[in-house]
Amino acid sequence: MELLCLEMDTIVRARPDPNLLYDDRVLQSLLTIEERFLPQCSYFKCIQKDIQPFMRRMVATWMLEVCEEQKCEEEVFPLAMNYLDRFLAVVPTRKCNLQLLGAVCMFLASKLKETRPLTAEKLCIYTDNSIRPQELLEWELVVLGKLKWNLAAVTPNDFIEHIMRKLPLPEDKLDLIRKHVQTFIALCATDFNFAMSPPSMIATGSVAAAICGLQLNSTNRSLWGDNLTELLAKITNTEVDVLKECQEQIERVLMNNLREGRRQQQKQQQQEQGGPRSKALDDQDQSSTPTDVRDINL
Amino acid sequence: MERMKRFKRRLSLTLRGSQTIDESLSELAEQMTIEENSSKDSEPIVRNGRPPSSHSMHSFLHQYTGSFKKPPLRRPHSVIGGSLGSFMAMPRNGSRLDIVHENLKMGSDGESDQASGTSSDEVQSPTGVCLRNRNHRRISMEDLNKRLSLPADIRIPDGYLEKLQLSSPPFDQPLSRRSRRASLSEIGFGKLETYIKLDKLGEGTYATVFKGRSKLTDNLVALKEIRLEHEEGAPCTAIREVSLLKDLKHANIVTLHDIVHTDKSLTLVFEYLDKDLKQYMDDCGNIMSMHNVKIFLFQILRGLAYCHKRKVLHRDLKPQNLLINERGELKLADFGLARAKSVPTKTYSNEVVTLWYRPPDVLLGSSEYSTQIDMWGVGCIFYEMAAGRPLFPGSTVEDELHLIFRLLGTPTEDSWPGISSIEEFKSYNFPKYKPQPFINHAPRLDTEGIELLLSFLRYESKKRISADESMKQPYFKSLGMRVQTLQENISIFTLKEVQLQRDPGYRNSSYPETGNSKNRRQSMLF
Repeated sequence: MELLCLEMDTIVRARPDPNLLYDDRVLQSLLTIEERFLPQCSYFKCIQKDIQPFMRRMVATWMLEVCEEQKCEEEVFPLAMNYLDRFLAVVPTRKCNLQLLGAVCMFLASKLKETRPLTAEKLCIYTDNSIRPQELLEWELVVLGKLKWNLAAVTPNDFIEHIMRKLPLPEDKLDLIRKHVQTFIALCATDFNFAMSPPSMIATGSVAAAICGLQLNSTNRSLWGDNLTELLAKITNTEVDVLKECQEQIERVLMNNLREGRRQQQKQQQQEQGGPRSKALDDQDQSSTPTDVRDINL
Repeated sequence: MERMKRFKRRLSLTLRGSQTIDESLSELAEQMTIEENSSKDSEPIVRNGRPPSSHSMHSFLHQYTGSFKKPPLRRPHSVIGGSLGSFMAMPRNGSRLDIVHENLKMGSDGESDQASGTSSDEVQSPTGVCLRNRNHRRISMEDLNKRLSLPADIRIPDGYLEKLQLSSPPFDQPLSRRSRRASLSEIGFGKLETYIKLDKLGEGTYATVFKGRSKLTDNLVALKEIRLEHEEGAPCTAIREVSLLKDLKHANIVTLHDIVHTDKSLTLVFEYLDKDLKQYMDDCGNIMSMHNVKIFLFQILRGLAYCHKRKVLHRDLKPQNLLINERGELKLADFGLARAKSVPTKTYSNEVVTLWYRPPDVLLGSSEYSTQIDMWGVGCIFYEMAAGRPLFPGSTVEDELHLIFRLLGTPTEDSWPGISSIEEFKSYNFPKYKPQPFINHAPRLDTEGIELLLSFLRYESKKRISADESMKQPYFKSLGMRVQTLQENISIFTLKEVQLQRDPGYRNSSYPETGNSKNRRQSMLF
């Protein structure tokens, strides 16, 4: 049964290609080149005067929503955020241009990854026409120049299959795990604290968080806490401590997002329904949220 | 059922939740409009045109409520360990911590790519030289080339050196990236006037290619001029070709020297190679030395194995896209159709490969191809070099399939599991051909060569040999062991044991004669 709604995926895709997925040369090459594509500095401190961290978060959330609604390839959003961060680490930008920059980054990432890229017009509509297609095209050349055309950046998504195939995961859960990992990766891309982390670490942390979150570790001994971390750390040559921190950080970001989401929802319900019914709604809210994430795997 | 209801309910809640985001966005917009009162910047920063209707991230977040057994760790700031601090910034309880691994070594971001593909890490002060005469040093050409990692044969415009003496930072200190970039553009990189356009070489779907000359090096270059589209800006093909090529540094892949973009066009400056494999085969009357066939095939595979390792497919292999210089170095070119292959990806368009080099699964409408699409093409090219004529020169899809089946046998469930359920295949209703022995068609190929050829030409794409694997086949044993372990950017002709032979059919050969008459006699055909 199609759960989580409306997400029919009828697109024809390449079969998993062992030459790309099961070849350690590919993983090693990814690990070698990934740091080339990290932003050069923590730009809120040294480059940007006008742009604040919360603005990045807002633009990132907007970009994620556009990518989700347009059903872009999973890696388009993290890739666009990579362009955005790398650009901001080099060019002092005014906040009035931040959304324009976000749109350009999605434009470029989708041109690289999509069979049918996002059109300039569509992106302008998503900004409520606050930017003109002409501006988008002009900025495209600026961004390409500043990124020196190095667009084929490594994203955390590139590592998912390489990591997952080396873990003893139950066959029937693979799709679910993959989906959760991808979402964690997207979540990380919205959070500036991950902007300078190597993609392999974000991927590894996300896999760990997904396995713990889905409580798959309760069934398989080798996926227990420290065992899992050590296994993961070995796959991507990460230090165990660093990886643990990363996983905890991801879980914190998730909790913050959950809390934030809940608060907003409750606020809205109260506004919509008024006093007397709000208590009932709270109950409903509680009951509708599964206490165990395994429940969603119907 | 009860569960489903619960989910639907949650879903509707989630969907309603979408307005909160709009609210917060408009809040932000207001905030910024207030902050920014100047008339010019009063545009709100984030506008949300159409509010998204589905919120998979939101619904996802809901799933996780209460799923983490352990509470988020709360550790005091000071606990951040050394190795950790250098790797990640961890905010504690919402406090922002911006110090991020500044001491982490940043790899090259391709800063120096404009200059003939050397890594910016090499840009260092020539300290060894500096120590000797630190005081009144003149800046020499050599210094400059070293500092900017320019090609050795570059010609600096007149006056540039004088200017540098006056304005440059002390020469014994490393250049900052910024000043390095400025220097490169002053020298002439990234400028159209640096290149003289000569004859037109060809016209592709999205670009025109000219022969050109660089005023900097006096060398020939290939100028690929791309028209910028009005509506959608830089074409995807250009974006893919450039961003992929910038990452591909290999002796058997064409080098991108420079990118020049103006408002109307984009020009990619490539190294110039004399001819492509098609011309090469024509020039030697379609009779190549079998030894050269092996050397060329090995170079194709070497380039391709590297591409596949970097998750790049070429998707348009044909003799016209394989460039060859006087030394016999073969390089893959034209990556316009290539694209980074992050699995899984959407279907690629069916119109990719020139019909002659297109594998039967793609001809039958499969769009699920991957690295194997390139391997079939390699097989066809291998045969064409060895036999002097194209293997399957079909003019239509049906014709192409017909030619393939007539030689390799019409596929059955045995030779191609699943074939009988492909509607396309059934509708053609091909005669049931038996596979023919290859030796009759390519008499000049030895057993090992035919074996390798057949492993490229497998019907089932997943059974086709990979580029990496095929380089290790016995057919290549005569090239010696050292070709297998050669560094990526080193040409195989640096090895003494690898040398081109005179092609039998070649008139007016430009290859040095070995002076050995035995060689000439060897060129007799079977």
